[in-house]
Amino acid sequence: MNDFLKKRFQSYYINPQISFPERFPRREYAFLFFGMGQMARHISFKTRDEILTKLRRRVPSHVYYSSAYYERPDAPTMREKGWMGADLIFDLDADHLPGAEKMSYEGMLMAVKKELKKLLSFLVDDFGFGEENLSLYFSGGRGYHCHVNHPKVFYLGSQERREIIDYITGRGLDPKSLFREKVVEIKRYGERKVPLTRLEMPKPDEPGWHGRVSRAVTDIIKELRMDGKEKGIEKLKGYGLSAHKAEKIIDGLSDARVKRIEEGLLDQFSEIRGLFLRSAIEKSAVSLSTGKPDEPVTADVKRLIRLPGSLHGKTGLKVQGIKRDEIDEFDPLNDAVVFGEKPVKLRITKPLKMRMKGENFNLNLGETEVPEYLAVLLVARGMATV
Amino acid sequence: MNIYTLAKYPFLKKSKEFVKKERVSTEEILHDPLYERARDMGIQRVNDALEKGVVGDYTMLDETDALMTIFSYPVARMIVASIESDYLRNRYSLAETKRIYLNLKKEDKDFIVDTAKEFGMDIADGLKIYFTEYLKNAPTWSEKWKLVNMPLQKGLVELKKAELARLLQENLRNRMHAELLRLYPPPEIKKVFSEDITRIRNVLQRKEAEGKVDMGKASISKFPPCMRQLLAAVQSGINVPHVGRFAIVTFLNSIGMETDEILHLFSKSPDYDEERTRYQIEHITGKISGTEYNTPSCSSIKTWGICPVEKMDSLCKRIKHPLSYYRYKWRNKK
Repeated sequence: MNDFLKKRFQSYYINPQISFPERFPRREYAFLFFGMGQMARHISFKTRDEILTKLRRRVPSHVYYSSAYYERPDAPTMREKGWMGADLIFDLDADHLPGAEKMSYEGMLMAVKKELKKLLSFLVDDFGFGEENLSLYFSGGRGYHCHVNHPKVFYLGSQERREIIDYITGRGLDPKSLFREKVVEIKRYGERKVPLTRLEMPKPDEPGWHGRVSRAVTDIIKELRMDGKEKGIEKLKGYGLSAHKAEKIIDGLSDARVKRIEEGLLDQFSEIRGLFLRSAIEKSAVSLSTGKPDEPVTADVKRLIRLPGSLHGKTGLKVQGIKRDEIDEFDPLNDAVVFGEKPVKLRITKPLKMRMKGENFNLNLGETEVPEYLAVLLVARGMATV
Repeated sequence: MNIYTLAKYPFLKKSKEFVKKERVSTEEILHDPLYERARDMGIQRVNDALEKGVVGDYTMLDETDALMTIFSYPVARMIVASIESDYLRNRYSLAETKRIYLNLKKEDKDFIVDTAKEFGMDIADGLKIYFTEYLKNAPTWSEKWKLVNMPLQKGLVELKKAELARLLQENLRNRMHAELLRLYPPPEIKKVFSEDITRIRNVLQRKEAEGKVDMGKASISKFPPCMRQLLAAVQSGINVPHVGRFAIVTFLNSIGMETDEILHLFSKSPDYDEERTRYQIEHITGKISGTEYNTPSCSSIKTWGICPVEKMDSLCKRIKHPLSYYRYKWRNKK
């Protein structure tokens, strides 16, 4: 089986379309080979020809390079390597999405695309990165990578990178700074003075998370009204509200009230401030992980990433660069396919239906013949044997 | 800039130029009776740092007062540098820059911006600062300062006047600390201030001893390298990132230390603030938040970048959690 894949990969690596990272000789490279569990690490190349020769000769199943660049990239320990800086990398993978295990492959990739777009809005609008600083890649597997290449981020330590992750995932947002309690009137009851407060929402055009939360709250309210009463109540119950409270809120959403909310006044909604905040964050934040405290990838100043243009050993698809305005149309099962149409005989071990290169396949158990591109994918994913 | 302002900010380029123009030699500052006040105030600066954690503002009634204040700053630095204690270097740079912050935030916007620019901070119009520069200087271990709570747009964080002053404090603190490390004071400092230096050394020793006593049931020799390093960092006043504080507090809590005991260990930190630290500890240990956080696993500690990889020992390689390390050490001692 490995022989089959290795031969196919070899045919690709005769003339691969690799895009090499900047500071090429300063990077560490790493490989996994067919049938071998151990990763070969701490390798460096002086010229591009050297790595191309290596790819042709050894035909690896996976190829990685370090986001960091070093004085001595081939030294065995971090200390000897001499860290000089690192790109900022975001790794969006279906593994991190809630409910991904129930989705189809196409469904997962669609869901990750949505996260990718949210990420880009943070990186461009909030962090101010330009087109020239951002490179996007399909990972060859179940996700997308975004590389930020900007001289000011090279030297950020892992603590500072973590702050960037916390920003795009909305972690540590302070509700009190978002929804401000404002005294509108002082009521007198005899001797006693009681301040009447109202909850103020940030304005939609405020910079940073303030504006994002404001826009998300308005969207959520619009959606609730569009959904109609019953569906709206169900939705609110999903956020953990009692049926009674949910109904009260939906009934309270008159035109006048919605307008007031859009102007920034949440008044009676104080009891559900937490609800709005949670759902607004959920709507705006990027899912980088399943809420575990560690998103290893971005904060790590020395991680390995797949080399653009190399093949993913578990799919046979190419790590493919994508332009920002092509995200919507990008179809990995067409655009990241490198193999041809030559028919290959194989035995299906797991029945499936799928669409690839514009063709529909309905595969049942047993022997059959499929184009090479599909054969590679099926064998690599362990759904067929040759 | 008048002499009183220069005396308030003796680290400014203008203040240094002023000192140069006065053509007073180190020799004179150290021996001439004329500068006795400057010498006394220099010692006072160091004392304030040690005892109060912030250098005081000394009343300046006339130009002589201001002049003495200006000269007391290099005196204080020479004393600190000659004692060669990292704790003192940290504590002094913090105390001196705290005073600067308290003064700076009262100044007008232009003054703060000019000072920030003098120290290499890039400020755009309307008090905006590029986010990488913000992250370098902001105390992001506190929720209020986390980037996520700041107005960030097109790469720029919009600051209020006092916030810029606070970032400047951090910038200056790092500079001052680095300068103190590089500074080689004239050897006669040790003679001129011998009594004070001995006294300060004793205070430092006492503080150090206090830090070591009473770990209660906990024995630091059984701590994994990461926790040993974090505790040492907290106690010597190195700026420990939020995740680091979080990790050490959850660890100490898990091995059965009470809030007060943990607080006691943290009190050795030069930037110790009892109320805030108590709040943070009680939040993590679940006394106020209702959630008692668990000690992070080795893999989290590694991804947070606080695992001292070069200090890992053979036991580290066999375990996946800092608490297993501690328990294992206990079992094998008995």
